[in-house]
Amino acid sequence: MEVLVYGIINSVILSLYALGFTLVYSISRLPNFAHGALYVTCGYLVFVLTNSIGLPYPAAAVVGIAATALIGAVIYRFILIRIRGMEISEIIATYAVGLAILEGLRWGGLRGMTFVLPTFYPGSVTLFDVSIDIQRLIIVAIGIMTFAGLYLFTHFSRIGLALRGIAQDERAAMMLGIDSDMTAVVSLAIGSGLAGFAAILVLPLGNIVVEAGYTVLIFAIAVCIIGGLGSWSGAIISSFIIGFAQILTEKFLSSHFTMLVAVLAIIVTLLLKPSGLFGKQKELEERV
Amino acid sequence: MRRSVVSVFLSLCLIVGFTLTVNAAEKPIVIGAPLSTAFLYGWDAERGIKLAVEEINAAGGVAVGGKKRLFSVEVIDTRDLEPQVPVSEALLGVEKLILEKKADFLIGGPVRSEAALAAMDLLNKYKKVSIVTTGVLTPAYTKKVEDNYAKYKYCFRNTSHVGVMIGEFAVLFDDLKKSQGFNQAYIMVQDVAHARGGGEAMKKTLTERGWTVGDMKVYPTGTTDYSVGLTDAAKKNSQVLFLWMDMPESAILLKQWSDMKSKALPMGFVNAAEQPGFWKASGGRTEYLLVNLVNAGNSPSKTTPWTMKFCDAYKKKWGLEPEGYGTSSSYMAVYQLKAAIEKANSVDSDAVVKGLEDIDIMGVYGRMRFDKKSHEIIPSLDPKEGAVTSIIQWQAGKRVQVFPPKAADGKILYPPWAK
Repeated sequence: MEVLVYGIINSVILSLYALGFTLVYSISRLPNFAHGALYVTCGYLVFVLTNSIGLPYPAAAVVGIAATALIGAVIYRFILIRIRGMEISEIIATYAVGLAILEGLRWGGLRGMTFVLPTFYPGSVTLFDVSIDIQRLIIVAIGIMTFAGLYLFTHFSRIGLALRGIAQDERAAMMLGIDSDMTAVVSLAIGSGLAGFAAILVLPLGNIVVEAGYTVLIFAIAVCIIGGLGSWSGAIISSFIIGFAQILTEKFLSSHFTMLVAVLAIIVTLLLKPSGLFGKQKELEERV
Repeated sequence: MRRSVVSVFLSLCLIVGFTLTVNAAEKPIVIGAPLSTAFLYGWDAERGIKLAVEEINAAGGVAVGGKKRLFSVEVIDTRDLEPQVPVSEALLGVEKLILEKKADFLIGGPVRSEAALAAMDLLNKYKKVSIVTTGVLTPAYTKKVEDNYAKYKYCFRNTSHVGVMIGEFAVLFDDLKKSQGFNQAYIMVQDVAHARGGGEAMKKTLTERGWTVGDMKVYPTGTTDYSVGLTDAAKKNSQVLFLWMDMPESAILLKQWSDMKSKALPMGFVNAAEQPGFWKASGGRTEYLLVNLVNAGNSPSKTTPWTMKFCDAYKKKWGLEPEGYGTSSSYMAVYQLKAAIEKANSVDSDAVVKGLEDIDIMGVYGRMRFDKKSHEIIPSLDPKEGAVTSIIQWQAGKRVQVFPPKAADGKILYPPWAK
């Protein structure tokens, strides 16, 4: 039973890591390699707002997510807009921005293990004979609500439909008056805000450290490649594949290999189906 | 009366002024400190070195060649604890300290074992005496000195290594077996060389001493869930959870341990839980955790008369207690260097090597003398005999030294849910 319970928790956390990354790519075809850095930035910002300025935690969380979204929009407006369409340059530029942010945070004082965000609710419960802390249950509940909320937003709101329009056929959408650059700004802002949102949920489990930025980025990329770059449903399904594979590996093989699972899954996916499980990109070439 | 007070004051001013002028005229002895300053083991070592230098300079400096010379410190960030930073970066830092900053002696790191081992050849090349005070937990460092004294005689270490630490843990496990009847252990370590080595050695040691080791889990750096291991430890009725990790994610493990009300008493080498602020940061969930701080003085204790004097001076200067491993040893290395220079009456490297081999002082963490063949500090469980470790337990938000018994300030407490 613990495999099932912790497999679900692990999978939801992975999908929260990856949701923002895959949203940006699916809409704007932009690989935001600063995603992990934005995750850490939001956590640190909320920590500073609550501990140094004395802002109440919920208000600090909202400000943190909004600030992270703003940073995402700024990254597109001032950097990515100049190199859009040049895929390698996009990767290098966003990775460089992420690196600068993370090392800047380290230089600015994010050092040591004492930076933490409070849990939403302390304590633990026993479910199906498995002891689980309440924060993890909250993560699962809010995670599922987030997936549902994003589905509703992209299928029933004007902005969401515009985003999907650009994702499906950019030229046709532009002919209908949808501004591609504005859509990219919005997608970067929402994607970055989702990185911040994941930080608020997940960081209370541990502490805020610079290294978490790299870990989150690796998992986000792994989830997106396996699920198929740009596919939301693929990202969620691949999160569950990796999440359960990690728990099963630890349970029946060795904890030593749990991080290898994600990397191995990327290699297998690239060998067998380079477009990923639900990816549309290059699918035609693969069939030909 | 008033005139005599004024004349005494003026005389004092003249004497102080003259002394300062003489000291200022002498070239300072430059201590180079290669440290990974973005990490606890780097920044706390830097603070320890600077505090000792300030104290020694305030007391007049180092007596050498009939004169008093002051110490000065040059710190360089070797970045060797940062992931993916190559060893060559640390070596460049060491070379820069020697060639550009004109360091006469080195104290501190490099902190990572691989970097420190590689730097030994540089120290021989430039004939620079170095005292390693933080990190470098590999026994190979001083073994190399023992195996090739002529080449590596400039290298000293005034802190511990994995072999010594395992021996100390073994004594603590014996005490637990005797006093509590414990004999079931479970090991969780990080997937890095020193932690795997520590875990394997601990497993072997415990098995030899009649303990049953449920399993040894090796977690890759970046692991964010430990539920399977903790559940397994509970199923195997483990009474002690032995940890060896320096990754930040070990904070997640400790929180999960507390939230899952695991019955096994956690102890080990856990970098995340060393800092005084960690108890508050973890919401008190590190309560009952035992952590090896490697040397006494890295948290307040009454190990020797100098221990609290050092901790108070540190707190006065830096505004908080010594934070963890590498602090007291870095502080003491400066005093050891001073004693060696004064004994040798020279700053010549070969003479100072002899001086370091001969000094025998009572320091912050006990009697401090180097083994003449290996240049390893001589360890002991009695501060009157050698350098002692510090195993602390988090008790009501404070780091209470509970081991070794001869330097303990409190007894080990057990989680109420473990009964």
